[in-house]
Amino acid sequence: MDPYEIEFIGENRIASIIPNFSYDKIYLICGEFGPFRAGLPMNVPLWLAVMLKQKQKCRIVPPDWMEIDNLENIKEEEKRSRFFTKMPHEHYMVEAKLILGAASEDIPNASEIKTIIKDIWDIRMSKLRTSMDALMKSGGSYGRLDHLTMMEINSVKPLLPSAMNELLKIQMTSKKSTSATLNSSTFSQSGTSQNM
Amino acid sequence: MDTEDLELSDEEEEITADVVLKTIQNLWQNERLSPEILPHRNDMVECMLGQIQHMERNINKLPKTDLRASIHKMELNRIKYIICNYLKTRLDKIEKYCITIVNDEKQRTESGTNYLTPSEFRYAQEYLLSIEHHLKETILNRVPGNMQAFEINKMAIVPALQSHVFLKANETVNGIVLEDHFGDQDEEIDLEEGSQHILQYKFIADLVKNGKVQLV
Repeated sequence: MDPYEIEFIGENRIASIIPNFSYDKIYLICGEFGPFRAGLPMNVPLWLAVMLKQKQKCRIVPPDWMEIDNLENIKEEEKRSRFFTKMPHEHYMVEAKLILGAASEDIPNASEIKTIIKDIWDIRMSKLRTSMDALMKSGGSYGRLDHLTMMEINSVKPLLPSAMNELLKIQMTSKKSTSATLNSSTFSQSGTSQNM
Repeated sequence: MDTEDLELSDEEEEITADVVLKTIQNLWQNERLSPEILPHRNDMVECMLGQIQHMERNINKLPKTDLRASIHKMELNRIKYIICNYLKTRLDKIEKYCITIVNDEKQRTESGTNYLTPSEFRYAQEYLLSIEHHLKETILNRVPGNMQAFEINKMAIVPALQSHVFLKANETVNGIVLEDHFGDQDEEIDLEEGSQHILQYKFIADLVKNGKVQLV
């Protein structure tokens, strides 16, 4: 899938806004939202939050996890752990990108927050590259990837599955040729699984 | 099986629009990420198209400058995108794996477990006929008689079911056997609810179809 499609899926998350207008409840197919009361915080899907922000009809309230202290903790935890830690949610990167992109003036310390989130992303991506390398070297055809978010998984999609497919093909042909010449099947495959 | 189907159709009466939307979104995601065509869910698509029509009629009653109208329109456009892309993805697969799909589907229709909607099946058959016609017109009819046979099964493209996919378990499923293709070293794994894995599609194809795992 394309990154913009992952973003599209992430836009269904609920975000908090403070509208500057008043209106009745609105009945969307994905649920009912409102009533809109000027100055009072309320929840809407992220796509609607961004749309209203673009029309200058609301301020976006940053989610709790997007505070510097929380982010520093996440970053430290991510650095310390050998494995991937659990992110605030499945679409943290999409939410951060959209909110910081559309409403950076509503977010205190927007540029610091941006940097920390980027750091977290970079730490995770470098871990991901290391794990993929280990997985390929062990000749595995199975891996577990808990806590990786959709965008992170998608970023390795052109590479990892097709590399694993090729590896499988090579294993099959080499197997065929060895069993043909040696007439035995003692090639042992150790460590076919790898925790990521 | 029968009772399951009955229960399902009972539930459909009360299913809410947002649940239908979620279901369609998951179907779309699975269809995009699975190598083979998945069983159709025309019931869900039809239901959502009905909702969209109903909503569009209501929007037309609103004044054009009304903020609500633009919000509703935006939502409808998002949903239409998902449905269009879902149906197009299926058509792409039908064209690509045409011969395999038509052959499999004939067997499935006999057992009542068809994957295609009637119109998709008609499209697949017509597409196949056009290919055959085209190849005969342009080449086969102009080569020596002993080479003129149209050997359809030699042309079949089979979806790569052994390719690797990412998935997330919607519920715990224990004892998935990862068969070693040489038969010497099978491995067994458990999919805990919420856990994510990368493995060969063929081992979990059934779990995708019955909704126990979601491709990501």
